[in-house]
Amino acid sequence: MFGFTHTDYLAMLLSVRVAVVATLLSLPFGFAVAYLMTYRKFRGKVILDVIVNLPLTLPPVVIGYLLLLLLGQQGFIGKMVLQPLGIKLIFTWKAAVVATAVVGFPLMVRSIRTGMETIDVRLIQASRTLGAGWFDTIATVIAPLAMRGIIAGSVLMFARGLGEFGATIIVAGNIPGVTQTIPLAIYDYVNTPRGDAMALSLCVVSISISVAMLIFHEWLGRRMARSD
Amino acid sequence: MKKITIKLFLCVFFFVLLTGSAISAELNLSVAASMRDAVTELSDNFAKKNPGVSFQKNFGSSGALAKQIESGAPCDIFLSANLKWMDYLKEKKLVDARYTTTFAYNEVVFVGKPELKISKLQDVVKLEKIAIGSPKSVPAGDYAEKAIKKAGIDKQLENKLVMAKDVRECLMYADRGEVDGAFVYKTDALLAKNVKTLFTVPQDLYPRVTYPAGLTADGSKKNEAVAFYKYLQSDEAKKILVKHGFAVK
Amino acid sequence: MSGWAGAWQGATDMDLRVSVQKRFGTFTIDTNFNVEGERIGLFGPSGSGKSTLVGLIAGLYHPDSGAVFLDDAEIFNSEKRVNVPVEHRRIGMVFQRPHLFPHLSVRGNLLYGYRRCEHKDRKIKLDSLVEVLQIGHLLHRGVRNLSGGEKQRVAIGRAVLSNPRLLVMDEPLSALDDSLKFQIIPFLKGACETFNIPYLFISHSLTEMRIMTDKVLRVVEGRVASQMSLEQLARAYMGESKAGYINLLKLRSLDRLGNLYVYDWGGQRLFISGGSDLPEAFFELPSTDIILFKRHPEAISARNLLQCRVTDIFETGHRLGVELECSGQRLVAEVVRQAVEELGITKENEVYAAIKATAFRRLG
Repeated sequence: MFGFTHTDYLAMLLSVRVAVVATLLSLPFGFAVAYLMTYRKFRGKVILDVIVNLPLTLPPVVIGYLLLLLLGQQGFIGKMVLQPLGIKLIFTWKAAVVATAVVGFPLMVRSIRTGMETIDVRLIQASRTLGAGWFDTIATVIAPLAMRGIIAGSVLMFARGLGEFGATIIVAGNIPGVTQTIPLAIYDYVNTPRGDAMALSLCVVSISISVAMLIFHEWLGRRMARSD
Repeated sequence: MKKITIKLFLCVFFFVLLTGSAISAELNLSVAASMRDAVTELSDNFAKKNPGVSFQKNFGSSGALAKQIESGAPCDIFLSANLKWMDYLKEKKLVDARYTTTFAYNEVVFVGKPELKISKLQDVVKLEKIAIGSPKSVPAGDYAEKAIKKAGIDKQLENKLVMAKDVRECLMYADRGEVDGAFVYKTDALLAKNVKTLFTVPQDLYPRVTYPAGLTADGSKKNEAVAFYKYLQSDEAKKILVKHGFAVK
Repeated sequence: MSGWAGAWQGATDMDLRVSVQKRFGTFTIDTNFNVEGERIGLFGPSGSGKSTLVGLIAGLYHPDSGAVFLDDAEIFNSEKRVNVPVEHRRIGMVFQRPHLFPHLSVRGNLLYGYRRCEHKDRKIKLDSLVEVLQIGHLLHRGVRNLSGGEKQRVAIGRAVLSNPRLLVMDEPLSALDDSLKFQIIPFLKGACETFNIPYLFISHSLTEMRIMTDKVLRVVEGRVASQMSLEQLARAYMGESKAGYINLLKLRSLDRLGNLYVYDWGGQRLFISGGSDLPEAFFELPSTDIILFKRHPEAISARNLLQCRVTDIFETGHRLGVELECSGQRLVAEVVRQAVEELGITKENEVYAAIKATAFRRLG
């Protein structure tokens, strides 16, 4: 329609894939962290809170650079874990997923926490006295009642993931067909004289996906409210 | 309290404004990334000989720089790594056609880790990741892409090319070991620490790397800019360029 | 651990031995008591620690130190590091508010605990429970639009259906208005009695206590200060409160004569002006509203004249109570010391008690 090249379509597909995978990957961890923060007391809780919220306040390029140092050839995790296993993360689409997941994690956790905090503690006490162990309670009471927060967190994270640039470009690089997501493709066009039309076209695509996401989120919220 | 704050603010405001124009001549240079070190030395020398002249240097890929100038970024002299972007600005009348000239040349090489068994262009298909300047805006990438296409290995290199925003970033990717190799200029390869030139890309596969210098419409009105433009073509300048690895004929 | 959880005793008597200490900021629980029975109350003013104490027994909170035994099974011991998790203690709880699971239907709520009960312990079934609590018609509804009374009945059902060893009810009636309260009481008592579940009933209302429990633990500032029967509690209250001793009567409706309702009280008939057409009701009769006659008064305006025998005369806090026995039923009348001396009332005396039809206050 707007004269997109093959590479541009790849960029759109990649953007969605990376955002979806990053969100799905973060869900279990996000839920676990939100659970710990809401329901457990332990030493170092404040530190965990700070670490989880850190990506929210750091410039994405800083996050990208730190990930590079950690996961690259010379990095701590890179040397100790990845190289022995033969896993290469840097400059692969996996790195794009990791960058997106890290950047969006605090959004996921916050949403789920809010959802959990609205659950009456008496409900949890009731469930325990009725014979449900802590895991049972999580699965049958906490998760269903926090579903709003879980969904909100996922949508937020997905949307943020679609727009991820700073961390991604450092740790995954700009590889058309492999890691070049929509923001990176737009960046290329922006740097090119006569590239404005294409850059704009991709922007429109990006905006459309975001709008679709937000509408979906609203619809879902309404639907959940109706079934109450 | 409020009155004092306002007075203080106005003082600082005017101070900044006035000090801005205190320097007699400040020249804005937009320079192709590959020329970074050479132009730094050239401008330092010029400044020493011409006190009162200072330089604001902006380094980047020639395409990005051309775009910036087109968007109104302040620039007196544009040093591009290919003729394309200079012609682009000439067409838009942003560069004064009377003051354009070619002042240096370069070659495209391939750098990589010393232990790699790569000795000619066709060998690079064996590698996993190769850094190349984004051809849309980086001349070095454009030259390399042309060579790759002409050599017929472009299909095999699909999904292996990591786009860099300028040729120096290419070098950095290679030097840090994040890619197996990179297409850079001969002049950049000299600065590499961990990688070395594995082969020179045959000149018949791509047009010669040509560096035009041009005065912008604004720059052509400044005497100091014209002076520096002429200086770039002087013997002293030529010596410095050759020292950095460029060719001058 | 699960071996203990399966030990169901046929008899309903429960044996609870508690010795716990716990600090909550400025408030401390430090108590040591043993109690046995089926229907036990925890009585005390707000903030005395009743809820916290049962929370410690149920396992919702972790004591700093101490031990808890329920029917010879040690469910907590800080020294031996024994701590049976909440879900295995099988101590059901009913709270002040229903706290039903909003995402489950009524049926889902009721069966929540039942499903988590081991097969051999599932003595109480859904059908019989639903009949006792009369909530059969609600089974497939969501819980959000139920009335307050319906919700509380479902909450009770949910706890009972989990086949608990002990049911703890923390002020389950406090949030209900009077008429609802006395509608729920029969369901509450009925469910526990039908299914043989001993319970701990918490309340700050003496009346609720007297209806629901036989024995009461008085809780004062984080400890169980004393244990007594309900009668003793009522008498202790006589000295403490302005109203004095209140007689609590459970009456069966017989007839209606004009504006008077006729009730059966252990074979005798009582005439009450503020009655109702319901088959059964509780009535309060202040001891101060009973007038004693040494001889049968020939003509008297009071509609109720009962022949009684004095069984006891007691004093609490400057007030004198005369306990009477009337055809097997008990009544306490309050009289001033001079009257007792003047009339020469002593134990085993035959007296007549006169009570106006308007003296009775119907509960609910």
